[in-house]
Amino acid sequence: MTNDMPTEAVLENPRVIAGGATQVAKTPAVIETKGMSVFYGDFLAVADVSLRFQRNEITALIGPSGCGKSTVLRSLNRMNDLIPTARTVGEVHYHGENIYADHIDPVRVRRTIGMVFQKPNPFPKSIFQNIAWGAKVNGFKGSKSDLEDLVEEALRSAALWDEVKDKLPASGYSLSGGQQQRLCIARAIATKPDVILMDEPCSALDPIATTRIEELMLQLKETYSIIIVTHNMQQAARVSDKTAFFNVEISQAGRTGRLVEFSPTDQLFTTPKEKETEDYITGRFG
Amino acid sequence: MTADANVHFHDELAALERRVLGMADRAHEMVGLAVTAATQGDLALADRVIAMDDEIDENYLGVHHQWTTLMARHQPLGSDLRRMAALLQLSATFERMGDQCVNIAKIARFNEGLPRVDRICGKIEEMGDLVRPMIRTALDAYIRQDVEEARLLPSMDEPVDRLNASMYQEVVTVAGDPRMLEWATKMLMVSRALERLGDQAVDLGEMTAYLVTGERVEFDESGIMLRDA
Repeated sequence: MTNDMPTEAVLENPRVIAGGATQVAKTPAVIETKGMSVFYGDFLAVADVSLRFQRNEITALIGPSGCGKSTVLRSLNRMNDLIPTARTVGEVHYHGENIYADHIDPVRVRRTIGMVFQKPNPFPKSIFQNIAWGAKVNGFKGSKSDLEDLVEEALRSAALWDEVKDKLPASGYSLSGGQQQRLCIARAIATKPDVILMDEPCSALDPIATTRIEELMLQLKETYSIIIVTHNMQQAARVSDKTAFFNVEISQAGRTGRLVEFSPTDQLFTTPKEKETEDYITGRFG
Repeated sequence: MTADANVHFHDELAALERRVLGMADRAHEMVGLAVTAATQGDLALADRVIAMDDEIDENYLGVHHQWTTLMARHQPLGSDLRRMAALLQLSATFERMGDQCVNIAKIARFNEGLPRVDRICGKIEEMGDLVRPMIRTALDAYIRQDVEEARLLPSMDEPVDRLNASMYQEVVTVAGDPRMLEWATKMLMVSRALERLGDQAVDLGEMTAYLVTGERVEFDESGIMLRDA
């Protein structure tokens, strides 16, 4: 870990920094990992990952089970901190600032770098409160009317408004799986994040709902940077600009994930540079 | 030892490839038969070439159906995707080669009863003898995934182009005899079809380069690969 002194202002308002600071010009990546490794206790789960995630792009993390892709994703907004044995070494920079520095508040990191999970997990509250409550918990101070505007804006951004505008007091659980997932995306958007992490967001959804989420992702990348973990290579091929392929290395110490190849998606799925990638995407395993 | 989780798809891909390469063998055979039909005025042989083309057309439609089904069901990636792309292009090229052979064979009927010119027949046969090894070389290069072998094709095509270019002068030399001129003018179409067959063999070589390198390229006369934009 570096001893950089990060400014919390970066987490609070990255676009201000991005608009004026030369630092951003030198480091155009929104998030950059440098030699990042993650341990669970003594077990090395994923080793030496160096990746650069660019603004307004969708980056897909793919690979077989146990390759560490979800671990990497959760390290990008310090979600792994919630696991007592988890330890991240190396560097994770957000707009050039180390998010693992001592005085960075992980809650603020997670607000700026939001997350959508595999299984839709709305709060046991109304559709309206699913958005409003999260925003209030995260410090929203506006009027009731401002809050209503925020809810509508978030639901519109998540392509859900037209389907729920007449039943905002209804429970979030009354929605279909696909709608619940878009509600969760709306909830993440309402906290005004800069980056949205998605951990297999469509694995519990049917093909139609999956298509809607994928279309939504393509719209959202105009505003946000998106990093998605997916088991579905075709999904990665459909939506992402760049793809990182992880594989598992089996040793006496256990199964350790490592980054094999990071390339533009078009290239990785047609002409991968590494034989390991080629073997994985064509279904051949050594 | 590499395990194959996609064994079913790879079996079907291999079957598709065998079908496409079968079309290639047919096209290769048709070139020789069509040239003989045209130069010797053999109408029975011409009819055989036309029947063989029906078979190629049928295979082309079958390949297209198999190809579409495989893409829809398996959505292949990596070298599998490149192989699928190459096979579709190859089958279309072999279908067009079959059409060119039909064009050549039909000249036998158009020229029925007209006097032949031995010198022109000799040049046409020479072109046929040059084109058939080109198709074989293109096939071998594809099967072995040998880009160096594929890059030989433009230089093999060069004498075909030269003979085709010289054919106009040959026709002029018989212009004094209207019936001979009529025959020779039709043989210009044979020469042109053989020249196209040579070009198509070069196209096949370029698909091998794509299969191996992942880049769509054009070979120039010396076999250097020119990168497409």
